[in-house]
Amino acid sequence: MTFWRDVLGLRLHTLRTMDDQGVKAALLAIGDSEIELLEPVVDDNGVARYLQRKGEGLHHICFEVDDIEASLEDLKARGTEMIDHQTRIGLAGRICFLHPNAMRGTLVELCQPLEAEAHG
Amino acid sequence: MPDFTLDHVIIAVRDLEAATEDYVALLGRRPSWRGEHPLYGTANTLFRIDNTYIELLAPSAGKPKDKRWRGELERALEERGDGPYALAIGTRDIKRAVKTLRHNGIEIADPRDGDGRDIATGAVRAWRNAWASPSTTNGLRLLLIEHRSPPDALPIAAPDADDSAYVTRLDHVVILSADLEAARRVWSDGIEARLALDRTFPERNTRILFYRLGDATIEISGGAEQPEEGLGKPDRLWGFAWGVGNIEATCRRLADRGIETGGPRRGVKPGTLVATVKGPQTHGVATLLIEHTPESFAPQSRAPHGAAYDNAPEQRAFSGARLQRVIIATDDVASALVAWRSTLALPETRANETNAARLDAGNMAIELVQPVPGSPLAAVAAERGTGMAGLVIEVDDLAAAVATLRANGIGVELQTESATGRPTASLERTQTNGVPVQIVGR
Repeated sequence: MTFWRDVLGLRLHTLRTMDDQGVKAALLAIGDSEIELLEPVVDDNGVARYLQRKGEGLHHICFEVDDIEASLEDLKARGTEMIDHQTRIGLAGRICFLHPNAMRGTLVELCQPLEAEAHG
Repeated sequence: MPDFTLDHVIIAVRDLEAATEDYVALLGRRPSWRGEHPLYGTANTLFRIDNTYIELLAPSAGKPKDKRWRGELERALEERGDGPYALAIGTRDIKRAVKTLRHNGIEIADPRDGDGRDIATGAVRAWRNAWASPSTTNGLRLLLIEHRSPPDALPIAAPDADDSAYVTRLDHVVILSADLEAARRVWSDGIEARLALDRTFPERNTRILFYRLGDATIEISGGAEQPEEGLGKPDRLWGFAWGVGNIEATCRRLADRGIETGGPRRGVKPGTLVATVKGPQTHGVATLLIEHTPESFAPQSRAPHGAAYDNAPEQRAFSGARLQRVIIATDDVASALVAWRSTLALPETRANETNAARLDAGNMAIELVQPVPGSPLAAVAAERGTGMAGLVIEVDDLAAAVATLRANGIGVELQTESATGRPTASLERTQTNGVPVQIVGR
């Protein structure tokens, strides 16, 4: 936060601990994108292990999609290696993660903001 | 339409001291007022919040002149124990409001003068009020009130918690009804409140009438199907949903004080997080905490989250900043390109380089790069493996951005982008949480 919020002046608009995932997350707005800062609150989840192994740094990239269920079905149909075989609720909305093997070492997340899902 | 507001909500309690202590903990705020009504034989504690105030009301010792008021309260406590008791509807002209309600078929007493004295400060507040007959309000205790004292005679309840971990406002009142049509006649025709929404949730077999009263919402909830045996049964004031600044922090604070909450979890309404408060500390009030976070889920709305987050002032040099691209280090651009193009269907925008490719990802680009030996990117890839290796942030004025960074003690190295010949600034990685950041001008 010292750098992203205080030096760059990016606006922090969400700060939340997600107990089910064992992380504290902050979302800061930059243009039409967001920077997400993740801090583990337990010492045995993916984020904690990543930090132990590699130290602080870029962790994953998240793309917004219009219809996450369709995207996920499509990926599965093409045999893409997935971490999540079903979508779940995350900070950014309904989400799923691709396995880094599928993207040659990059952890990719897809998300569909909840508001688009819960209309009407 | 009348000028009605939800002036305050009344909770009946037997032990005012214990209830006050519990509500100080629950609301995270200190009382605005500790008062008594010698004339009626009751005592109260008030908490003024953003859009209304909360009254904890208890019978007091002594012999009042007018016993009806205390008698009614004691009867309610006898029947149901502690719990929500009445809603006070505010008006600036009680005489006219009484006329309106009577005209609309609600029986209501003539307005009477009342006053209360704060036992600590001796301050006095005066009002006129009039109680409606529950036989004409589908069983609810409703009163009209016109305050004679200025609004600031009742101070705001001082927050007693950090991190926005306290109740800021009354989000909505919950009324349960077995006869929604009767309830609708009371609220639409009798009180002339604005029906904002009448919605049925078939999957929950629930229909809710949402009324707006000033700055508060009244939710009247019943079954989507209403069995005949329920018709004509009285409505019940069931509970309150309190808006909080930060629900995580509020739940933690309550847990520390031994108050159990279920949550936070996602609310039925999109963009809300809710937590039910359990346990005796609510004094029989169905209690929900709610945090509205529309911006968490709607990228199109980036409005700041009120005062809930401690944000630094915007840096002018970065006010137009955007994420231009993410750099992915790979040992084989061609095969990485296949993976990115085919798996995520991102179109390629630039393929004129042998050791790099760029893909269009909507509002930003993905750049796949095979690091040149000896380059900073090669050092990152050697240390962390292939994968995400940097962020490129575009600003309006590179020189101003560099000046701001340096003024904040961030190490900046100016370079020339090999592909474009344009200047870029690389930031000292130890100061950016290990993230290689480059700044470029627009």
